[in-house]
Amino acid sequence: MEEKTLHIVIVGHIDHGKSTLVGRLFYDTGCLPPDKVEELKRISAEMGKELEFAYMMDHLEEERQKGITIDIAHTFFATPKRRYVIIDAPGHKEFLKNMITGSSQAQAALLLVDISQGIKEQTRRHCYILGLLGIKQVAVLVNKMDMVDYSEASYKAIRAEIGSVLGKLNIKPAYIIPIAARLGDNIAGKSDKLPWFKGPTVLEALDSFSTNEAQTTRLRFPVQDVYDVDGEKTAVGRVESGVVRKAQDVYILPDGTKGRITAIKQFMRDDIGSATVGECIGVTSGSALKRGQIVVDEVSSTITDTIRANIFWLIDKDYKIGIPLTWKCATQEAKGKIEKIHKRFDPASIEVVEEGAKEIRPAEIAEVEIKLDRKVVIDRFSDIPEMGRFVLEHMGHPVAGGIII
Amino acid sequence: MDHLSELENKSIFIIREAYYRFKDIAVLWSIGKDSTTLLWLCRKAFFGKIPFPVIHIDTSYKFPEIYAFRDEYAKKWNLDLIVGKNEEEIKKGMGPTKGAKLDCCNELKTNALKATIARHGFKALLLGIRRDEHGIRAKERVFSPRDENFKWNYEDQPAELWDQYKSTAEEDNHFRIHPILHMTELDIWKYVQRENIPMTELYFSKNGKRYRSIGCKPCCSPVESEAATVSDVIHELETSHTSERAGRAQDKEDAYTMQKLRSLGYM
Amino acid sequence: MTGKTENKTPKVLLVGLDGIPCTLIGDYMEKGLLPEFKKILGDGFALHQMDASVPDVSSTSWTSFMTGVNPAEHGIYGFTDLKPGSLNIFVPNSRNVAAPAIWDIIGKTANGRTSTLHRDYSGAFKRPLRSIVLNIPQTFPALELNGILTAGFVCPDLRKGTYPEKAYDYLNSIGYLSDVDSAKAAERKDEFFSEIFLALEKRMHAYEHFLRNEEWDFFAGVITETDRLHHFFFDAAYDAKHADHEVFLRFYGELDRVVARLYELFMDMTDGRGLFLTMSDHGFTTLKEEVYVNAWLKKEGLLNLDGRKEYFEQIDAGTKAFAMDPARIYINIEGRYPGGSVANGEKEGVVNEIKERLMKLTNGEGRPVIREVRENRELYSGPLAGKGPDLVCLAHDGFDLKANLKKDEVFGKGHFNGMHTSYDAHCILPKGVEITKRLHIENLAGIILEHLKNGTAA
Repeated sequence: MEEKTLHIVIVGHIDHGKSTLVGRLFYDTGCLPPDKVEELKRISAEMGKELEFAYMMDHLEEERQKGITIDIAHTFFATPKRRYVIIDAPGHKEFLKNMITGSSQAQAALLLVDISQGIKEQTRRHCYILGLLGIKQVAVLVNKMDMVDYSEASYKAIRAEIGSVLGKLNIKPAYIIPIAARLGDNIAGKSDKLPWFKGPTVLEALDSFSTNEAQTTRLRFPVQDVYDVDGEKTAVGRVESGVVRKAQDVYILPDGTKGRITAIKQFMRDDIGSATVGECIGVTSGSALKRGQIVVDEVSSTITDTIRANIFWLIDKDYKIGIPLTWKCATQEAKGKIEKIHKRFDPASIEVVEEGAKEIRPAEIAEVEIKLDRKVVIDRFSDIPEMGRFVLEHMGHPVAGGIII
Repeated sequence: MDHLSELENKSIFIIREAYYRFKDIAVLWSIGKDSTTLLWLCRKAFFGKIPFPVIHIDTSYKFPEIYAFRDEYAKKWNLDLIVGKNEEEIKKGMGPTKGAKLDCCNELKTNALKATIARHGFKALLLGIRRDEHGIRAKERVFSPRDENFKWNYEDQPAELWDQYKSTAEEDNHFRIHPILHMTELDIWKYVQRENIPMTELYFSKNGKRYRSIGCKPCCSPVESEAATVSDVIHELETSHTSERAGRAQDKEDAYTMQKLRSLGYM
Repeated sequence: MTGKTENKTPKVLLVGLDGIPCTLIGDYMEKGLLPEFKKILGDGFALHQMDASVPDVSSTSWTSFMTGVNPAEHGIYGFTDLKPGSLNIFVPNSRNVAAPAIWDIIGKTANGRTSTLHRDYSGAFKRPLRSIVLNIPQTFPALELNGILTAGFVCPDLRKGTYPEKAYDYLNSIGYLSDVDSAKAAERKDEFFSEIFLALEKRMHAYEHFLRNEEWDFFAGVITETDRLHHFFFDAAYDAKHADHEVFLRFYGELDRVVARLYELFMDMTDGRGLFLTMSDHGFTTLKEEVYVNAWLKKEGLLNLDGRKEYFEQIDAGTKAFAMDPARIYINIEGRYPGGSVANGEKEGVVNEIKERLMKLTNGEGRPVIREVRENRELYSGPLAGKGPDLVCLAHDGFDLKANLKKDEVFGKGHFNGMHTSYDAHCILPKGVEITKRLHIENLAGIILEHLKNGTAA
C-alpha cells in the first residue's frame, strides 16, 4: 500500500447522493466497522428504510432530520492501493464556508450529478470553487443511472452538458462515470448493467489519481516563532516550498536582509543537512528573525502592500468597501481593507453580477484589490500555492478566502 | 516525506501556532495513548521542554497503573504537572455506582476541568482527540472556539482554510486546539512504534485481555485480545474492524446474547 | 394515577404465554388442571388453534405478532441473520425491526417506519394511546414509545432494555428477572425450576404494579418461562411417570393463577368491556430426534466448510446452499454472498433439487422427517422478502431441525426434550370476536387495533 493518503472532496447538489456514495465507498471497501454497520442499520430501520448509506456521514440527529450534511466530516477508507480521507462537503448554499473549508484540504474531487437533474446551480458554484482552489484531479459521477434504466443515451446527453459547463470553469474532468451509488453500480466493481461503459469504476478512478502535488524548487520558509534552544535564538517554522540547506545564503523578506543558515534543528536529531517541503524545523541564521518573515533563497517573491485576488465571501453578511479586515497568509498578518471590487459574480450562474461594485454579498466571488498597511511577501497562487492564498478576518472571524492572481 | 512524518509535521505546526497565539495555554493529559502521543509531539515541537502546564484531571477512580505512569513521566519529561480534582464531590462520595454515571463524569471530569481552567486562567487547551474516534468528532475544527459554558456550536463553526486558524473574537471564552485530529487510531499506534513512545501497560494483553481505551477503572472493561506488544496491537487493528469506543459495553452484550441463544439450542 | 380512569377507551390486555400449545391447554382443561382457564372460557371466551410464523422461532413469531405483518415487511427471519452481502452473522435487535409495532401505531411513534397494517390504521387514532409492553421478545434495546416497555428475550442489559429510566428503576428495585439461566436446566435442574418459579413471581409482581399504577390503553405482558420449561421438559407434560411431571404441573398451576389474577384485575378495571386475550407465539411437542440440516447439506455435497473459520464464514467454494436456525435454507447465490457459486439462472434448479431430496430424507427407522418445504415466494410478501431464506423446512412432530454447523451426523439427540411447532400456537379470544378462517399470529394486531379504534371513535 502507498504511504500517502489522498484527500478527496465530494461535491454536488443536495440530494444528488453524496452521503449515499460515501456510505457505499465505505461499505464496499469493507471499511465500515461492524458496530457502524449496526448503527447504520438501526438508524435506517428507525427511519423506515432498508439500508440508507447516507446516514454514515450524517452523524448528528439534526442532520439526519434535515437530510443534509451540514459540515465537513472526515472519514477514512482504503483500497488495496492507498488510504483515502473523504471530506464530505455539504450541499447547502448557507454552508458554503464548510464546503470551502473541506475543499481547501482536498487533492482530488468527485463531482456528483444526478442524471435526472443535470448540473444544478449548486454544482456550478462548487465547480467554480474547485477551479479557484486549484483542484485539478476531478472525476464526475453521473448518479442514479438506475432511474433511467441505465440508458446509454441519457448518459451521453448529460456528458455533453457536463463537458460544456465544466469547460467554462476551466475544469477538465479525468472521467465521467455512470453510477448508481445506492445500488453500488460502478463503485467498487464494474456494473453488469452498464456494459456499454468502458471507463473505470469510482475506485479505479480514485486509485489513478496522484498524491503528489506539483512542487517548486524556490525556497519559502515562513518564520512561525522564535524559541530559545540551548541558549540560541532559533526560528521555527515549516518549509512551505523548496529546500533549506545548512550554510545556505538566504534573504529575509520583506526587508530583504541577507543571512546564512547556520544550523537546522529538530528534537533528538543531530546534524541536519537539509529540510524539505512540509518539514517543521528550527533554523539559526545569525540575524534576529521574527514571526511573519519569509526566508527565501532568491528574491522572486512579490513584496507589496497591494494585492489583486479572487476572494470568496464566506459569511452571510455583506461586505462594504472600506470595512477593516485582517489579512493572513502563511505566518504573515497585516491590517487592511478591500479598496476596489473590480467584479463581483454569483458563481452559481457563472455570470458577472456587477463591475466596479461597492459591496460583496454572501456566497459571492469577487475580484478585488486589497490595500494593506504594510508590505508583505506573496506569490501568485499558480506559482507557489502556499504563498498565494490567504484568509481575511473581521473582528476575529474568518470572512473570506482568497487566491492571488 | 512518509505518512507518519507528514502527520507529525502537521501536528507540530499546529502546536507551535497554538503556543504563538496563547501563552496561557495548557495540554490535557489523560495518560491514554492519544494524549501521551500529543505530549510527545509537544516535546518535539519545543525541543524537549514543554513550556506550558500539563493538566491531568484526576477523578480518583483511575487505574493505579495510570497514576504510576503519570508520576514517572511527569518527572522524566520534566513536566509542569497540574492535577485537577473535584475534591469536594469526591469527599461527598460521588462515584459511578453511587450517583448516576453521567453525574459522576460531569462532576469529576467536566467540572473539575472547568475549575482548573478558571483557577489558572487558561485561554486555550490542547486536546488529543482524533477525527476517527466518533462521527461527531469528524466535524471538529483544529482550533475550536468555546463559549463560557463550554458549548461547541458545531452548526456554525468558523471556516478553517489552509492552516489559517481563527483569531480570537470577543465571545470566544477559550479555545480547544486539536493537534492530532488528523490521525487515526492505527496512525497513533504506528507512530508510537516508530518513536518508541512509552505507554501504560494497560494497553497490552494480560491473561487474554487488554484495554483499548482507558479511563476510570469502574467504567472501563477490557477487550479480548492477545496483543501484548505495540506491533501486536497494530496487527490486531489492521485485521479487525470494530471501532474502539464500541469495545466496551457492546462486547459484553454480544457475548451474553450468543450464550443465551446457545443455551436454547440455537447456533 | 390509576388504571381505572374516566376515559372511554375499552382497553386491551394481552397475556402472552410463550410456547404454550393449543392442544395442551385443551387437554389440561379437560383433566381439570387449569381451572381458571376453564372459568375464563366459561365467561364467553373461545380457545383457537393458531398458526405461528414460519420459521416458528420466538424472534420471528413475536415480531409478526407485534407488527401484524409478515417477515418480508418486518425483516426478522430468526434470532440470527447475515449482514448484507456477507457471511458475517449478527443478532438482529429491535432496531432491525422495519415495521412499527402495535404500540407505535397507536402511540404514534412509528418514526418513519411503516407497514401495510400501519397504513390502514395510522389515521385511526385521534390521540396517541399509551401502552405498557412487558417482556415481548425482539424488543431490545427499548426504543422510545408512548408508554413503558421492558424487553423480552434477548435482553442483555435491563437498563437499555427498559423505557423509560423510571421503569427500569422500579424493575431493578424488585429484582425483576428478564430471563432465567437456561444453561442450568440440564445439570442443575433444581436451580432451574426455582428460577422459573421466581421469574414468574417477579413478572406477576411487576405486571400488577404497572397494571394498577399506570395509565394505559394497551397492556401486553408475556410469560417466557413456559418456553424454557418446555424446551427441557416437554416430555414430562403428559407422562405421569416422568420424574418432573409433578413440577411441570405445579408450574402450570401457578401460571393458571397468574393469568386469572390478571384477567380479574382487568375485568374489574374495565367493567368487563375491555378486550382480553391470551396467545402463544408457537406450539410445542416432544422432541425425539434432532436433525442437523447443515450436516445433511454437507452429506449431499451441497455445502463445503472451512473449519478454520467461524460461523458462516466457514462456507467454502462450491457451496450450493446452507441453513440458518432453525431450518432456513439459503442458496449460495453469486453476488449475494462472497464466493457465491450458484448463478441466478441455476437457482430454481438447485431449489427444486433440495426440495426433492429433503422430502426423501428419513431417519434410522425409515420414518420421513420433512413434512413440507416451502419457498420464499409462498411464504413472504413485502419489500424485505429478498432478505429471507429461499426455502424453509417444516418437520414432522418429533424431528427438531437445527442449523448447527459443527455437526457431521445428520441425526442426534441432546438435552432438549421439547421442540417448537408452527401449527399449534393458541389464542383465547372473546367469542364476540368473529373468526372466519384459521387464525394466524399476524392477524392478532389487526384484531387489537380494530378494538382500540372502535373504542376511541366512540
